[in-house]
Amino acid sequence: MKKILVGHWETAAFVIILIGAKAFLGYPRMVTDWGLTAGWLVVLFSGLLSIVFWLFIAGVLARFPGKPLTEITELTFGPFLGLGINIIVFLYLLFSTSNVLRLFSEASTLTVLTETPVNILALLYLLAAWLAAYYGIEAIFRCSYFSFPLISIGVVLVLLLLYPYFDLKMLFPLMGSGMGPVLMSSLWGTSAFSEVVLLTYLVRYFSFNPQRLKNVGVFSISYIMFFFIVIVMVYQMVLPYPTGSETLVPFYQLSRSIFLGHYFQRVEAFFVIFWTFTAFLWIATGLLVGAIILQDTFKLPFYRPLLPALTLLTFTTAFLPEDLIQAIKLEGEIRMVYGWIIAFILPIFVSLVALILRKGEDKVNGSQN
Amino acid sequence: MKLLQQLGKNIAKILIFNGSKEREHFIITDNNNSSQGKETNKEKETGSSNGDGDSKYTGNDKNKVKGTGGKKRKNGRCQIKKPVRVAKSSLSVKEQELKNIEEEIKQKNFDFEELSVNSSLEVNKRYLEIIYSLPKNKDIIIREFYIALEKPLKAFVLFIDGLSNADIINNSILKPLMVLLDEGVKIKHGEVAEYIKEHLLPGHDVKLLNKYRQLLDFVNYGNTAIFIEGSSQCLVVETKGWERRSVGKPEVEQVILGPHEAFNETLRSNTGLIRKALRNENLITEMLKIGSRNRIDVAIMYLEDLANPQLVEEVKKRISSIKTDYVGVAGVLEQFIEDSPFMFSPQILTTERPDRVVSFLVEGHVSIIVDGGPRVLIVPATLFSLMHSAEDYYLRLPYGNFLRVLRIFALFISILTPAAYVSIVNYHQEMIPTELLLSIAASRATVPFPTIFEIFAMEFAFELIREAGVRVPGVIGNTIGIVGALILGQAAVQAGIVSPILIIVIAITGLASFAIPNFSISFGFRGIRFIFTILAAFFGILGISGGLFVLLLSMVNMKSFGVPFLAPVSPKTTTGPDVILRGPVWSMERRVDYLKPLDTRRQPKISRGWLKNPRQGGKK
Repeated sequence: MKKILVGHWETAAFVIILIGAKAFLGYPRMVTDWGLTAGWLVVLFSGLLSIVFWLFIAGVLARFPGKPLTEITELTFGPFLGLGINIIVFLYLLFSTSNVLRLFSEASTLTVLTETPVNILALLYLLAAWLAAYYGIEAIFRCSYFSFPLISIGVVLVLLLLYPYFDLKMLFPLMGSGMGPVLMSSLWGTSAFSEVVLLTYLVRYFSFNPQRLKNVGVFSISYIMFFFIVIVMVYQMVLPYPTGSETLVPFYQLSRSIFLGHYFQRVEAFFVIFWTFTAFLWIATGLLVGAIILQDTFKLPFYRPLLPALTLLTFTTAFLPEDLIQAIKLEGEIRMVYGWIIAFILPIFVSLVALILRKGEDKVNGSQN
Repeated sequence: MKLLQQLGKNIAKILIFNGSKEREHFIITDNNNSSQGKETNKEKETGSSNGDGDSKYTGNDKNKVKGTGGKKRKNGRCQIKKPVRVAKSSLSVKEQELKNIEEEIKQKNFDFEELSVNSSLEVNKRYLEIIYSLPKNKDIIIREFYIALEKPLKAFVLFIDGLSNADIINNSILKPLMVLLDEGVKIKHGEVAEYIKEHLLPGHDVKLLNKYRQLLDFVNYGNTAIFIEGSSQCLVVETKGWERRSVGKPEVEQVILGPHEAFNETLRSNTGLIRKALRNENLITEMLKIGSRNRIDVAIMYLEDLANPQLVEEVKKRISSIKTDYVGVAGVLEQFIEDSPFMFSPQILTTERPDRVVSFLVEGHVSIIVDGGPRVLIVPATLFSLMHSAEDYYLRLPYGNFLRVLRIFALFISILTPAAYVSIVNYHQEMIPTELLLSIAASRATVPFPTIFEIFAMEFAFELIREAGVRVPGVIGNTIGIVGALILGQAAVQAGIVSPILIIVIAITGLASFAIPNFSISFGFRGIRFIFTILAAFFGILGISGGLFVLLLSMVNMKSFGVPFLAPVSPKTTTGPDVILRGPVWSMERRVDYLKPLDTRRQPKISRGWLKNPRQGGKK
């Protein structure tokens, strides 16, 4: 079988796009809700906290070179408990992917295709994502790397073109609702950066060493943290707090505000290309990593046969919320508030137990020697 | 009475046919003229050159000769006492052998690949008659003659009329052998062919071959084979001389600056053009044959001290593994060896320009030249190399880069313009400024069809014009293009079938697709334009986005001889400043990393010795 390997630049682009996809959904609105005018501080603190979490997880991964987190979990907790923990992670990923699918489909209906049924749009997203997942990790990572500069240019362009509407006064008071709420929301705000943990399930596909993986994670979080801070600041400078906390698709709202004379207005549809691209990549990654987790957990030889079932499952789960409002609530009040527990705390717990018990570590190191 | 009986028996012998006796032949053995003896000796000398059948035949024949006992020596000379009956003469064995071969050919299990040249001229002639279906086949010429030795030796030449040069055959083969020979020369048996090759034939390329398969490949390619009595080797002389097109101007890849030479249909001419431009002793030309029926020559050219040996091996492996009866031109071979035949884009670069081939060879690529076609294949190819043109490098840096940027725009315009038009008109009207929107609405007011129908009708008409323009000969073709574009478009607008703005959209799209330098990839983009238009009709800008995503996925997943199609961008590899835009020529210090060339550096860090600024390739 051909050995698939991806480089560190591709990996960084992949993580940045995955985390950055939130900017096109409700993230700026949520942060504005949490930290009021100090939303950018929430992003900063949660980003820094995520880096700390990541450093711990990546440090443990370095003790098990070439082993994905699913395998480390099994080595640490044994096959039965390990399987249970892996299934929890898989279910969380399924839930996240479904909700992202639903939100992007709803956002598309709200913005560009107002008369198209949302399930048709969800199917469009899913079919493209299925194809990407079928092509595999190499294709998704390379696709991310290739599209990364284009998406970045698109985002920067929107932010720059909004310059005439910047109002610095909107960022005051700087501390928003106070340091306490800001710090508290920064803790669960780490959920926004939780996609970096997906790397721990894909380690066997990396062409670089664990030390570099650690650096890739830190670089990706820092990079997207900077972008998030700028986006949130621009969002708050352009849209006053009451409006900002009510917008369903904040980035679209921003691009809609661009007016550069009579012949260059209402160009928001053009920028849809960029955020839908991130949506395709996110959903494809959700399907692929979900399939890989199942493959590793159940020791299956291939993951591709799982994709049709996973696609169907994602589609079905995406329509469990009754409407858009319920889907937004799930994202804002469940996934973004408690997601960090499964995304960061669970791997940290596994890592701690693995460190304390040192199960499997000697075996791995021994076999390497 | 006895006399009468004897007379009666003799008359009966004459009148009454006795099959078994009549098949027996007389043999006269003579020490000096015994061709059998010569043949036997010769076959002993040549050893493995003869096939099994020949050896067996010789052995049997030798025994038979020994067993006859019909010859007696007196003063070293053979006395013919009386004719001796033998069971079967040597000739009948040969004939039997030939009949067997004929039978085998009829039954199609004739092992032609292993057939060797026979020392008997007669046998060789019969072989050739069978192989070439002579005398039915009229352009295969066998010309018999005697080599002017002290004792004239019978021989014949074999060539194909129309493929071989008659002057070379007359002056460089027949004349030296028939007329100019020094009569005093002594040649040992079995060394006639070698002697002729070394002393008599002035041809620049003469080979000694003993396998029919090899020599016929040469003869079928315009060379002349010389068969000599008593020699189990055949001389093959280079006499190619068919009518050929001279080196002309490029038809598809025209440039303003730069060479105006293009490949033609002759392999050797094409390899020569490359060698002329790349004067390097490390330039290797390996030859392979493909196609069981046309057995066409395929040349693989690469720089031995530069090209990755694994790449060269991969190319050879793919080509030599092809099992088919006919490969006509490079385009057919390309389809046999490309990685993803169902993808929209070619994964092999095709060019008609020798300078382009050379520029790739010095990067470490491998070129494949198929005899009979004016296109040369270059492997591996990436999207970026397919988007480059020879002129980019001949122009100064800003001009070259300007052309490249223009081409990138052309690429997106050719894929997306009709789709964007459909999408904006159907779903995102707010993007259009009000005045323009009103103008479009007014122009479409009289059109009874939906936009997607208009687009497809005009695209179809455009493709039809393009195809007709190519197929119709000469001047009429150009006329059809102009007439079709102007009159049809104008008429369609006046008839209210399409709106005027749509004509502009289609015209710009068509122009943009012509600006893409590679014909093959331009074809691919023409095709996917229709898919994008359909997606836009159903999903607006979201459909375009989905289409772009799938297009990108398919491209990142493609490989050309193991090299990712989007290299060196995705995956990111080390390369010089020549991917989308190009840097100054003095900054192109490194070769592309994805090829893993044996020498990664093109030029030293200081390439411009006359400058003092090291940042511009000068000395410190």
